[in-house]
Amino acid sequence: MDPTTIRVNTAAIRRNKIKTYFSKPHNVILLLMGIVLTFSTVAPIIAIVEDTFKIHPGTIDAHLTGQSSGYTIVNYVDLFTSRMAKTNLWTPLLNTVLLAVGTCVVAILFGGLFAFLITRTNLAWRKYLSSIFIFPYIMPQWTLAVVWQNMFNSNAVTGTSNGLLAATLGINMPIWWCKGLFPSLVVLGLHYAPFAYILIGGIFRNMDANLEEAATILDTPKWKIMCRITLPMVKPAILSTILLVFGSAMGSYPVPHYLGLTTLATKYISMNSKYTGEASILAIIMMVFGVAIMFLNQLSLQSRKGYTTVTGKSGQISKINLGRVGKYVIALVLVVVTFFTSIFPIVSFAFETFLPNPGDYSFLYTGDPDNLTTKWWTTDENVTENGMYGQKGILHNETIWNAFKGTIWVSVCCSLLAGTIGTLIGYAVSKNRRSKWANYVNSVAFLPYLMPSIAVGVAFFILFSNEHVNLFNTYTILIIVGTIKYIPFASRSSLNSMLQLSGEIEEAAIIQNIPWIKRMTRIIIPIQKSSIISGYLLPFMTCLRELSLFMLLCVQGFILATTLDYFDEMGLYAFSSGINLILIITILVCNTLVNKVTGASLDKGIGG
Amino acid sequence: MKRFLALLLAASMSLALVACGGTKTPSSSGSSASSGGSSGGSSASSGSTTPENLTETQKIIQQAQTMTLEELAQKAIEESNGKTFYGVGNSSRGKSALPLFIEYLQTIDPNYNMEFDWQQPKNNKIFDQLTADSLKDTGTFAMTLIQDGNQIESKMVQTGILDTFIPKDWADANGTTAEEYEGYLPLQTLNKIFMYNNTGSKTYDNCWDFVAEGEHALFMDIDSEIVGKNFLYMLTRDDYAAWLKEAFEALPAEEQAYFQPTITAMESEAADLGLGADGAYALAWIKLWVESYNAQTDDGPICNTLVDKSATDQFGLLVYSKLRSVEESASVSKNNITVAAYNDGYTGIGGFGYCHYLFVTDNSPLPWTACAFIAYMTCTADGFSAWGKDIGGYSSNPAVAAENEEIYHHQTGGMAEDGTTVEFAALNDAGYDWWTTDGKLVLEDPQYCASVSFSVGSWIEMLTKYSAG
Repeated sequence: MDPTTIRVNTAAIRRNKIKTYFSKPHNVILLLMGIVLTFSTVAPIIAIVEDTFKIHPGTIDAHLTGQSSGYTIVNYVDLFTSRMAKTNLWTPLLNTVLLAVGTCVVAILFGGLFAFLITRTNLAWRKYLSSIFIFPYIMPQWTLAVVWQNMFNSNAVTGTSNGLLAATLGINMPIWWCKGLFPSLVVLGLHYAPFAYILIGGIFRNMDANLEEAATILDTPKWKIMCRITLPMVKPAILSTILLVFGSAMGSYPVPHYLGLTTLATKYISMNSKYTGEASILAIIMMVFGVAIMFLNQLSLQSRKGYTTVTGKSGQISKINLGRVGKYVIALVLVVVTFFTSIFPIVSFAFETFLPNPGDYSFLYTGDPDNLTTKWWTTDENVTENGMYGQKGILHNETIWNAFKGTIWVSVCCSLLAGTIGTLIGYAVSKNRRSKWANYVNSVAFLPYLMPSIAVGVAFFILFSNEHVNLFNTYTILIIVGTIKYIPFASRSSLNSMLQLSGEIEEAAIIQNIPWIKRMTRIIIPIQKSSIISGYLLPFMTCLRELSLFMLLCVQGFILATTLDYFDEMGLYAFSSGINLILIITILVCNTLVNKVTGASLDKGIGG
Repeated sequence: MKRFLALLLAASMSLALVACGGTKTPSSSGSSASSGGSSGGSSASSGSTTPENLTETQKIIQQAQTMTLEELAQKAIEESNGKTFYGVGNSSRGKSALPLFIEYLQTIDPNYNMEFDWQQPKNNKIFDQLTADSLKDTGTFAMTLIQDGNQIESKMVQTGILDTFIPKDWADANGTTAEEYEGYLPLQTLNKIFMYNNTGSKTYDNCWDFVAEGEHALFMDIDSEIVGKNFLYMLTRDDYAAWLKEAFEALPAEEQAYFQPTITAMESEAADLGLGADGAYALAWIKLWVESYNAQTDDGPICNTLVDKSATDQFGLLVYSKLRSVEESASVSKNNITVAAYNDGYTGIGGFGYCHYLFVTDNSPLPWTACAFIAYMTCTADGFSAWGKDIGGYSSNPAVAAENEEIYHHQTGGMAEDGTTVEFAALNDAGYDWWTTDGKLVLEDPQYCASVSFSVGSWIEMLTKYSAG
């Protein structure tokens, strides 16, 4: 055979292979997303690693090296070996791990128990309880911390003015209850409990009761059924909750900040001025935890047993009968509990906006309406001194409304971008399930979510603060970071729903020579509409009240979360409470609108 | 073992470092790190810098320093008409001052207009923001209003990122010239003062009472507001350490006995840190303060606490101006507060004074406009009015300060309408002159702070902070 002919054929075959490969849209999506996400995930990590070696003028590395520029390893040596190592590293690290673990425990116990009662029992008022339970997740996480302070602080114990409990009933809670690890993990646990509720509840709701019934027939004790059958069934949901909550709790800045707990996130902020390079090492340590969680998740996925009986086909769900009285008594207890976690904060926010001074509960002792005011809402000037701290009332305050517009803009953009990219990734990965590249893209898309928000914010700040690109305090950087961070919401949701779709559906359309765009818009998306819209809704809602991720990337007043935090820090609780109300109403209105128009809602989408 | 671990980590990450490529070092184009005066650090535009070494902005500043406000205004109009002015500052009031400045320019040229954007970063981010902006040939920010002399000195001025501009009118009012004046240009001095809730029977008549056994001052955490650290650094300077010794000696013997062991224990530490003869008194006070203060997120919540009648015998060190917005109610009153230094017979430091400084960025896109705006704020009562309506903030220009007092009557701000009855004693601001003499306000000195931040500063960081939790 003529060797020239063989060469031509080989080339043609290669060309054809490439052409065939790229003729499939999911391959193109995977390649593009793989490249983009690798850059968007790896570049900030490299930037922050570089920062740990860099000499920063006016900081400890410059002092120790005697130089004002260049590179050094002195930041590592000083952080790990100096006399300050315990204060700057080990204690915050321990607190961070305890906080993250404690938050997972509280979230899983509270959310899991709630999910069990709602889905597997004949509890009364389930619909009300189910929708009210998600409220703490809607609210910015530190607002519960502020409510906690306003509720339990006392002059006798915390050395501040009396909170509601001390002021009205004279009850002084102990210090461990008011400050430190315990309140931090309870507040964060309550905030993330809806994750556990939705994930565990999803399994409980679809779980085939045949296994439990078989065990009951065999006279297995109830505790044994719970330990050997029910809990192993929800193990994947528990692992998913840990996956979602651990990193988030670890990177939470505002809750430990308000409740006086030193964690890596709070230490990062306090060290950043004088120990800039060492603070970046703390951010890397937080990131390492994120990567470790991802690997642990991969390991658990490999070893996870297949529960093929959880098919949802049986549709038999046995509900435990709590008894005629029991179902109301337990429901009442839950109503009271959710009142304090969901309703009371909103009532207290509303009440706070009518107090004459922040935290001034004179009206409650006196009943005199003169001790209430509408000035925080209606004052339309800030020239005369009228007890407004130089601010206009909420209704007339340009800072608040500009921040509101900014927040909506960032949230809409992040939601559209993250939702679309995530959906495409989910689709492409589902089409290449066995491909290593697809698994890589799936993992690299999920990685930013597992990394603590504050560390991601730091990394992007460093990446985009140089002589070529300077994006600090622009919507661009917030949208980029928000999109990358929240792609997993959509990709997980989309992947799970796409995996449920049989390939035949799209194949039938391919045989008919229907273009890809049409296949997506007419077949795939309409079928999985509900999950996909949830993938858009979650980034939107999370973006609305995200602080830890954005706080280092923009100034206060740029978006609502930083404005809210600013007013909370300043002690102007009327403004922060008003902003909270605006946020909650916005989220509820959006959720209701989307629910009415598309049938999708928040509680169907978390984690897919 | 730890050292080995650190080295191992460092080595493992060095690959990533190699991958980073081109190194970026901060521009040090402004050869401005000349030695400065005692009160305000090194000045970029004055001193020994030779004309050929000056950056473009510094050359403009040299010319601007010879001009009156009106002349500067003309230059600003030529430069910035129709453009956008970006400023960044620790005070949000820059946003209120800019429209007034534009109105002023419009009195000269009615067709003049300028858009503006004023940013107020938090968490010390202003230094990162200015550093990042300095990497560009032409920056975004035209000027800044910034606090924390220590970091300004080490991160901003020594690196050539910021340049000092001394307005001619301001220099004239202070009886100096731009060439003679050494230091940064302060817009104002703010005071943080000791105040206590007076609904109980306790009184505080000596600054050592604030660190006595069982006392927990409400104070912004020194890691949250770095300027609070400067207060502690300043206490170790010889003159302020002497004030602390003097106050200690005024204490009754039994109270002295409580503090004496700590002071004695600090003598060797003071020697190690190279402090003066009274350094041990300063270190003892700092140690007791850091180990006892109850950290708060801001002065706002501290004020909210202290004015409430439930905060019996609580006290704090907070910005005086926070009292301005307290509204009277059944449980809250400005009369629940006593300013410690106003008490007859009070001995020792009355608080801490720190400055808001004004600078032109060395890569300023609108240097003439920046100079004109700075001159407007420091040389006219209108320009200072955004800050002037508050007690506890004093213009650095004596003429403006006097005019401001004429307008707002802060020294009698707590009097009833009849002018003779004291309605709110705490609101009668005794004024800058009183505070810096009789009131024994400890004043921030950027250069001193920078010089001790890694000696006294590191020593402070080793102390175990009080934790209520």
